[in-house]
Amino acid sequence: MKTTFALGFLLFTSLAAHAEYEQVNLTVFGMDCAPCAHAIHVSMKGIQGVNTVDVDLNTGLVAIKLTPGNSAAMHQFNEAVEKNGFTHKDATIIVRGQLSGSAQAPFLEVSGTKDRYALTPLASGMDLSGLLGKTVLIDGVLPQSGKGKVSDTLRYKSVTEAK
Amino acid sequence: MKSLLVLACAIALTGTAFAADHGPVFSYATPVNSEREFSFDSGIFGRSGTRGTQFSTGSGFGYGITPHFTVNTLLPATFGSGNLPESRIVPGNEWSVGASWRFQHSVTSVGKRIESTASLGLVVPGPQQDSGVLGSLHRAPGIAGSLVTGLASRSQYVWVGGGYTRFAEASHDRRPDTLSWSAVYGYRPSNLRRGYDKWDYRGFAELTGEHTGAVRSSGLILPDSSSTTVWLGPSVLAIYKNIAIEGGVQGPLFRDVSESVYGRERIRFAINLSYLKYSSHTSSH
Repeated sequence: MKTTFALGFLLFTSLAAHAEYEQVNLTVFGMDCAPCAHAIHVSMKGIQGVNTVDVDLNTGLVAIKLTPGNSAAMHQFNEAVEKNGFTHKDATIIVRGQLSGSAQAPFLEVSGTKDRYALTPLASGMDLSGLLGKTVLIDGVLPQSGKGKVSDTLRYKSVTEAK
Repeated sequence: MKSLLVLACAIALTGTAFAADHGPVFSYATPVNSEREFSFDSGIFGRSGTRGTQFSTGSGFGYGITPHFTVNTLLPATFGSGNLPESRIVPGNEWSVGASWRFQHSVTSVGKRIESTASLGLVVPGPQQDSGVLGSLHRAPGIAGSLVTGLASRSQYVWVGGGYTRFAEASHDRRPDTLSWSAVYGYRPSNLRRGYDKWDYRGFAELTGEHTGAVRSSGLILPDSSSTTVWLGPSVLAIYKNIAIEGGVQGPLFRDVSESVYGRERIRFAINLSYLKYSSHTSSH
């Protein structure tokens, strides 16, 4: 009984502080027709933790929503685009992670994945010193990266402490 | 040894590049399969002329090894007879296996790609015999190659391509070498540029041409057995997610064909169905 309680508590605390992508909006170049979009949809849905995928052929926007507790990594989304012969551009993401580094050089670590980003402000900078060491929710832009690569910089629009 | 090398290259790399999933029904086009994508094509192609109508069922299968390299096979069967010249635009009795490599791929904006694809394949005689002049020949394998370049976008498509097929000699007989070419323009009207969960339609104007060399029979060139034809016609492609249906018809623009050797071909038509099976496989961390 004690063990079950302990396990339950551990599970609860790990979920509460879980770092993960909540939403990924990728701009994809090169999709001209319905099978292109269908291929992207199938590939994205194959990533564990992906809940919904919407593809807009006219804007090239692929909007992915993920389930809580997922451990999907950014390179998986990029690979899903590349394996279908298309090119990924900037991605707008909402991600939860641990803020580390210093106020001058903050980093976001998405635990459960190998994703670690240097944070730079998209517009005016924020004082992040009070959030260091905490789990934060970031809305930001990942600049386009080369094939097989993920940008190591996340340009944030907002950083808030995750609840 | 040289022939073995050529054979190995042909198997490793395809030939025919028509009627596949995203493209026009008669012409060469650049699209290849996604990585781990299976594609299945099955169609009926017809050539009708003064000496009858010849149908062929083109059943094809493709698999994407990488996003730009697809291996494929085409196993057509024919019925009816028309005593028509060799054609590599419309499937005949030859089975083929090969590969297509999209060696140039430039993604310039949302929905737009400029790309080029080369194909090489081994063509082997199928179990059925041809009709007419070609039916009396001993058959041997051949090698088919093609090159196509063009643009795909949400509104317009343009592809220009050509192919060449050369058959080996068998018992002093040889099927004619065939030079094929095509130019195609496609258009999707603005009100049909819709979401991918709706039917996707586009129309094509397809211009194709073929020149077949002379037939060699018992070591002798058969007089007037070469031919040149140019065809033009519309086709329509309809796709719903991973199922495609396309159909087209072509009429002759130019025919330089001896009627003492072949039937006078009047019309070509095709209906093709495709099923695309995409892979949901993704790498882990």
